[in-house]
Amino acid sequence: MLQLERVNVHYGATRVLWDVSISVGAGEMVAVMGPNGSGKSTVLKAAMGLKKPSSGVVSLNGEELQAKPATVRPQRGMSIVLERRRLFPRMSVEENIMLGAYVRKAAEARETYDWVLEILPEIKPHLQATAGRLSGGQQQMVAIARGLMADPKILLMDEPFLGLSPAMVKNVLAIMKTINERGVAILFNEQNAKLSFAVSHRGYLLESGRVVLSGSGEEMLEHPEVKRVYLGVREAAA
Amino acid sequence: MSGTHLIETVINGLISGSIYALIGSGLALIYGTTRVLNFAHGELLMLAGYFILLFAVTLGWPVILAAIATIVLVMVLGALLQRVTIAPLMKREDWAFSVIAATIGLSIFLQSGAQLIWGEQYQGVPYFFHGVAVIGEVRMPWQRIAILVVALGVMGICGLILYRTKLGRIVRATAQDAEAALAVGIPAGRVHTIVFAISAGLAGTGAILLSPLITVNPWMGVSYLLKGFAVVILGGLGSFGGAVAAGFLLGLIESVSVAFVPSEWSNVIAFAFLIAVITARPEGLFAGRGA
Repeated sequence: MLQLERVNVHYGATRVLWDVSISVGAGEMVAVMGPNGSGKSTVLKAAMGLKKPSSGVVSLNGEELQAKPATVRPQRGMSIVLERRRLFPRMSVEENIMLGAYVRKAAEARETYDWVLEILPEIKPHLQATAGRLSGGQQQMVAIARGLMADPKILLMDEPFLGLSPAMVKNVLAIMKTINERGVAILFNEQNAKLSFAVSHRGYLLESGRVVLSGSGEEMLEHPEVKRVYLGVREAAA
Repeated sequence: MSGTHLIETVINGLISGSIYALIGSGLALIYGTTRVLNFAHGELLMLAGYFILLFAVTLGWPVILAAIATIVLVMVLGALLQRVTIAPLMKREDWAFSVIAATIGLSIFLQSGAQLIWGEQYQGVPYFFHGVAVIGEVRMPWQRIAILVVALGVMGICGLILYRTKLGRIVRATAQDAEAALAVGIPAGRVHTIVFAISAGLAGTGAILLSPLITVNPWMGVSYLLKGFAVVILGGLGSFGGAVAAGFLLGLIESVSVAFVPSEWSNVIAFAFLIAVITARPEGLFAGRGA
């Protein structure tokens, strides 16, 4: 479905991604885990077309997209929930959600709108509220709703748990599972190894802009390096 | 000050204010949506002055037709300037200063171009509306009343577009977060071009209304650009509604001050007020209500 092949990205003269190759199959949930500044967000932005790769291939269902503008992605079934929600803060919740369907016909959008509110019923009482005045958790729900309004086949989620309370993290995780169970592939990034790999089918570990490890969620959690560095588990002395 | 004089002063203030509001709201729309300070905005007003002179006086077209042609032409020009000069620079990561430099360059280029084409002489446009309205003891030329009515109408239409249409929603979305807008499929670059065109149209409307009262010349945009920026700052950077309100406020301050001090001091008082506002409320009077 989504493939990044040997993608390199520069910010000015600084290279932030080094030959990154990542794939997400239909219906998969894939995590990109890494410490701060490892390039996780850049991977998602490069996939979404918000950051143009200096080289490499980004393809969705075989169609090369790296040279095409970001606006093409929602039309092809790719959508993103940006880091820190990034809602349109002075617009109502309903306007925010409906703008997620910008590339679609009104009748189709209305059907998806009902579906989205069924998955995220906690948004309903706040539809007329100004988006910027909601709590962080509520804003994340609206951001997910906006992302789903494009009726994506793959949803990218940039640090979906950032700044959320533990209860809200649990809630967002449950919503991600529900979305995934309905056939939407998810590619998300996260700093917390346990959160990343416990829920994902597959995962990648990114360090200093390079993929240093990949495997199934279970394999990643069991990998000695992940356990030692990211889960703080020490191997028993021989 | 007599009651009649006070009413005339307030009306005159609202009339000047409506021009400042037209120019300032265009600048605010551009800044609010693109974060660009367009120093060439005054020259679009100046060009519109020459266009109305060409269509209405030289070619003798009916005023309505001449006004429509002027606004369409200046909107196309605004869009073109954005597409050719500003949009390519905005693709760079550190575009803020280079865009300011480019718009200052454009301003000088357009002023010099106007001097070459139309010369340095000041040219008059006759009144479009003749006669004087008399209500009680208050007397006001219809031309001046038309300025207020048309400016209010045009800004009202812009407000309706901004807050009641799909185009307005995508402009406001782009203004509030261009990257998030791009992510949902809104072509932010095209929205920027549309905003420059609308903003040029507002400046063009100002020029059409203003040209019979002042003379058309290559430098006519300079002082209005300064007032426009004052309005943008007063209104709260990037707020369309704030700029409209601030434009009327600035016009009223100028007009009332002239009733008490010599007219040469009106600018001093207006800008002293601006400095006082910036000191007390740096974010402007109507901040947080951006497009």
